[in-house]
Amino acid sequence: MSKNGTERWKQGVGQAARRCLGLASLAALLCIGGCRRAGPDVSSGPVEITVWHPWGQDQAKGLQRAVERYHRAQKRVRVRLVFTPTDLSSNQKFFTAVAAGKPPDVSFVDGTQVAQWAEWNALSPLDGYIRQAKMRASDFYPPCWKQALYRNRVWAMTFCADPNFAFAWNKREFRRAGLDPDTPPRTVADVDRLAASLTRDKEGRLLRLGIIPWQQYGSANSVFTWGWAFGGKFYDERTERITANDPRIVKAVEWMVAHARRLGITRVNSTTSGWGSGANNPFITGKLAMTSVHISTLADMKRYAPDLDYGLAPLPGTPDGEIGSSWVGGWLLALPRGSQHPEAGWDFIRWICATPEGTAAATAEMGVLPGWRRSPAITKAKKNPRLRMFVRILEETKHQRPVMPVQAFFMGALDRAVERTLYGKQTPQQAMDQATAETQRELDLILGKKVQ
Amino acid sequence: MPRPRRRKMTRAEWQHLRNGLLFTLPGIIGLLGFTVYPVLASLYYSFCNYSVLKPPQWIGLGNYSVLMHDSQLGVALRNTAIFAAMSIPLGVATAFGLATLLNQRVRGMAFFRTIFYLPSVMPAVAGAVLWLWIFNPQYGLLNTALAAVGVAGPGWLSDPAWSKAALALMGTWGVGGWMVIFLAGLQDVPAELQEAAHLDGASHFASWRHVTLPFMSPHLLFATVMGIIGVSSFFTQVMVMTSGGPADSTLFFAQYLFQNAFQYFKMGYACALAWSLAVVLIFLTYLIFRGSARPVPYGGE
Repeated sequence: MSKNGTERWKQGVGQAARRCLGLASLAALLCIGGCRRAGPDVSSGPVEITVWHPWGQDQAKGLQRAVERYHRAQKRVRVRLVFTPTDLSSNQKFFTAVAAGKPPDVSFVDGTQVAQWAEWNALSPLDGYIRQAKMRASDFYPPCWKQALYRNRVWAMTFCADPNFAFAWNKREFRRAGLDPDTPPRTVADVDRLAASLTRDKEGRLLRLGIIPWQQYGSANSVFTWGWAFGGKFYDERTERITANDPRIVKAVEWMVAHARRLGITRVNSTTSGWGSGANNPFITGKLAMTSVHISTLADMKRYAPDLDYGLAPLPGTPDGEIGSSWVGGWLLALPRGSQHPEAGWDFIRWICATPEGTAAATAEMGVLPGWRRSPAITKAKKNPRLRMFVRILEETKHQRPVMPVQAFFMGALDRAVERTLYGKQTPQQAMDQATAETQRELDLILGKKVQ
Repeated sequence: MPRPRRRKMTRAEWQHLRNGLLFTLPGIIGLLGFTVYPVLASLYYSFCNYSVLKPPQWIGLGNYSVLMHDSQLGVALRNTAIFAAMSIPLGVATAFGLATLLNQRVRGMAFFRTIFYLPSVMPAVAGAVLWLWIFNPQYGLLNTALAAVGVAGPGWLSDPAWSKAALALMGTWGVGGWMVIFLAGLQDVPAELQEAAHLDGASHFASWRHVTLPFMSPHLLFATVMGIIGVSSFFTQVMVMTSGGPADSTLFFAQYLFQNAFQYFKMGYACALAWSLAVVLIFLTYLIFRGSARPVPYGGE
């Protein structure tokens, strides 16, 4: 390159650099302008709100149809559904959105997480709206109301009340095993006796199982389910103490582990690794004769095995514990802190959680039961021979999982404790002591108490 | 001699500097914003109680003192050490063996090299899902093959006694990267030395032991160091396949850090974990390099 050429090239570079700089600042300006939030909606058109939800496939379509009913019922608010799962293990997106001041207008929240999200300032309380709407606690099933109540404020509304669980038994398999198909177990001792007759193996391989006590929708939920059935208590709200090493809960875990010993944990694992869900649900295929069932399983059974001969009963328990104990979980709707359209968001929450039309729409489209007891969906469900059992649980149960801010950690600790006992690494007493101590330490840390 | 005083920059020099900086600006901003800032911020947060949603609270060495008595961390560290002792020798040996085989003069060598390298370009999650099926105790490929020779295979990922071994075994599938490095190293072993050894009557094994291996030691050292760093950040497969179970048998360090950071949102504690790991890794690497100063000859020294 000649000297002249080099100079020209340099000039060109200088110009290019200046132009780049200009473009960059323009882009930055545009970005800042674009990122700035539009102020409160003053135009006369409908307000659009964003709702983050965790539902997949058919349930998501059902929710969309329920939202369309909402759109037909009023013209002020339009709902945009965004699939963003938030559960015990994937809250990252939600938390970062709230921390960045750009949350959705409304979000679903798992029943176990309300207290945690409230404690961390991720939600806005609903008390003002509730007072305005003249809603009362007695409009809801007690556990549904209680799981949204933390530090004397209401942080969410129950969208679906999960009555966990009904106890299902496969009548055909009972007949095959020579048992009376019309008598479900009432006590834990009955379960043991029936399970022994129902278990069938061939050359060491398990062909049919009576029950797998530690697999009632995860180990932690199994501990809750059987812990209450044995009459245990998990948490003392007044003293803010975790009591998962309650002797009755330890007994429940001992009972679960006794089944694992009898069946052989690795043998059960290699059997269950071949099981599936949906049409391959082991209860549907007859490989598992007794199990707890979640309300959503009813749809699977109706769809994949309409002729399945099974019965639904209250959960078995111990005579000195609680027979038909059960508990209520489910998903709630909440206003995240920093929601841009809280009024519109509340309007939607109220419609779908606590109005006759809204709750009827959610039940019809998604097969869930509302926590609002005045819903016509409840009256209708009582007439259905299967759903009736779940409504009964809602009306009778006193339990929901502890409402305290380290519930995600607690569930994890319980999961691990059960695993350690199943594999014989610890006794149930040791494992539950450890889970209790670990969780208490976390709780004290969050509540700002001195950690010992 | 006195140093010349710094003269003023000419206009052209200043322009060069400015243009140079402008052109590297995206890189510099990236480095500052996405590397330097997060690294320093994580150091600061490691001294705080921080849950992302509330402002960080300074607690001094609180996190580090909790870390000293954390039994779950002890489990994670022990698991990581056992897994390292299983998977690194196995991986290095497999890669070295493959590289030696692929260094032979056989027809269609390019094809074989490609085939053995191929698993390394597979996305980790896809590979993990595939191996979930291979390890399935009832219908899996592995136990079916074992059954054919009369061995009743274990529960692999569902049995705490076998889960680490299963993951180490899976690791041998993805050693293509190391294999390529070893292959390059093997081709640098001087042919004349090997010839000389043969002429002096050395057996194949002796020439491999006394000629090839010493020349390969830098590569083996590099693979070991990278292996240790790799194991301490081994995450994707665990997350997809076991989430740390069963009975915490595959709870490795990275998984434990993830649980604290993104499941329990104890960001401050997670940062303290990460910084402790960094210090331990630097120390380990230093030890390895010092311990191996003599057996590993470098071309440059």
